[in-house]
Amino acid sequence: MREQAIIDGILTEAPYAEGKVRRERRVEFKVPADRIRDFLKLLREKGFELMLQITVVDWPKDGEYELVYQMWSIEHRTHAMVRTRIPRELDKARMPTVRDIYPVAETYERDAHDFFGVYFEGNEKMEMPWILDDTEQGLFPYRKDFDMLAYVKKKYMILDRFDENKDNYVI
Amino acid sequence: MMVSQSELVKEARENGMDLLPLDKDTYELFFGPQHMATENFSIILKMDGHRVVKAIANPGFLHRGFEKLAELRPWHTNIALLLRICVPEPDVPEAIYSMAVDEIIGWELPERAQWIRTTVLEMARVSAYLFWIMGLSFKLGVYTAGQWAAAYRERLMALFEQLTGARVYHIYTIPGGVRRDIPNDAWLRRLRDTVEYIKGKLPDFDHLVFENYITFRRMEGIGVMDKKFALAEGVTGPNIRATGVPYDVRRADPYLLYPELDFEIPVLEDGDALARALVRRYELEQDLYILEQLLEMGPPDGPYKVQDPKLKNLPRFKVPAGDAFAHVESTKGDFGAYVVSDGRNKPYRVQIRGPSIAHGIRVLEQLLVGARIADVPVILMSLDNCPPDIDR
Repeated sequence: MREQAIIDGILTEAPYAEGKVRRERRVEFKVPADRIRDFLKLLREKGFELMLQITVVDWPKDGEYELVYQMWSIEHRTHAMVRTRIPRELDKARMPTVRDIYPVAETYERDAHDFFGVYFEGNEKMEMPWILDDTEQGLFPYRKDFDMLAYVKKKYMILDRFDENKDNYVI
Repeated sequence: MMVSQSELVKEARENGMDLLPLDKDTYELFFGPQHMATENFSIILKMDGHRVVKAIANPGFLHRGFEKLAELRPWHTNIALLLRICVPEPDVPEAIYSMAVDEIIGWELPERAQWIRTTVLEMARVSAYLFWIMGLSFKLGVYTAGQWAAAYRERLMALFEQLTGARVYHIYTIPGGVRRDIPNDAWLRRLRDTVEYIKGKLPDFDHLVFENYITFRRMEGIGVMDKKFALAEGVTGPNIRATGVPYDVRRADPYLLYPELDFEIPVLEDGDALARALVRRYELEQDLYILEQLLEMGPPDGPYKVQDPKLKNLPRFKVPAGDAFAHVESTKGDFGAYVVSDGRNKPYRVQIRGPSIAHGIRVLEQLLVGARIADVPVILMSLDNCPPDIDR
């Protein structure tokens, strides 16, 4: 099987990772957070040239963020998900940057920092404003414990049109 | 009452605005979001005379938090939300989200649903390319061609309206198939007529835009990127094919009916604005050819969506725990969605990967350096930057 051969070729050089075939043209790797740079360097050498996205998934029950690096190989015609987990407390949610391996990762890392508060060490543009306004910095609105309704009511007072019992919305 | 410039300068400084001469020759210029070429996107340019010294992309004017909102709504309701991520071709976000959900559930689509989805995606591509020709010719100053393109796109809008009930935002592709069937055979005939009509009009566009001396003078050798740079920056779609990489999702990761269709992937080597424009022009021709093949094939008989009792009660529609990544080729590039489900009636996480996040930020900043100010809209248009899929 073509996909299994790709995984075997990568795992012989990266024994710290786990890999499995999801379906045709889809493979998946699990990597510890501190080896992510080594692993992505290896993936780049093995023909995964394009980084499509860095997705952050918040799992408050486990107290962890899951980071999924979406990679595509033009040579092998295969999509690879590289999964890693880091703690979701804001002072511990830190990752090494991969912008020297995939320059485009700089943009994706800024995106992840703006919405989730994952800090990528070594990325110079981490503190630069991205999509959110100055007043919204530090809120990290895509975290699961962010109360959107309370924030909207606080920010846009005019929208608070509930009646005294807080049951019905008054137009 | 006349206000002297020094008073304006003073007032601007007091309000924290530094859009003023930095020294004798250089100054800062806010390009957008009001500028027509940038479409709700802003670039902060540091200019030396009429040359750009430094460019900083400044996104965020279209941020509506779709990914967060999608976590609060039932699976099918999200279609009406996520399609607003790509304005010129809203069928693409619908299709990737539906494909990812189909993959998590493990549904095999009926052939008729696959045919309709492929046709709708190709119609969306043609209409998005016509929209892009309109934008390009307005920026080049060839207004006639732009108005033609808008008028021809209107024919596709009318077809979409007959098929889906809406002109721009169709809300048509749903997990499990499509929302309703093809109205009648007359619709197929009208689609065939429209494809023939637009195909007959392509030479006019060539005469006026793509073989025009002005186009060559304005676009040749501007915004050049090479293969290595494009790959490292994650550029996809026509922009990477203009640098010589034959990467097309329809070929590389075939979905729906594309394995059965015959089409070419136009590739040019130059990597400048002209090459990117010409690749798009050739692709428009290929898309019309694909539509002809689909019409030749005809819609297969059978149901237009999956026959599953789950689809009878949509508010309680649940998706088993799992995740999937699906992507399609849009006119802007590789458009992908990553969907995570935890078994409830709402998605746990939806992330949309817009192609412009790769070529609209870092690539744009680097290509603009050294360009003249009149070339900034041309470079933006040749990259086909679509701000809503950066901001989401």
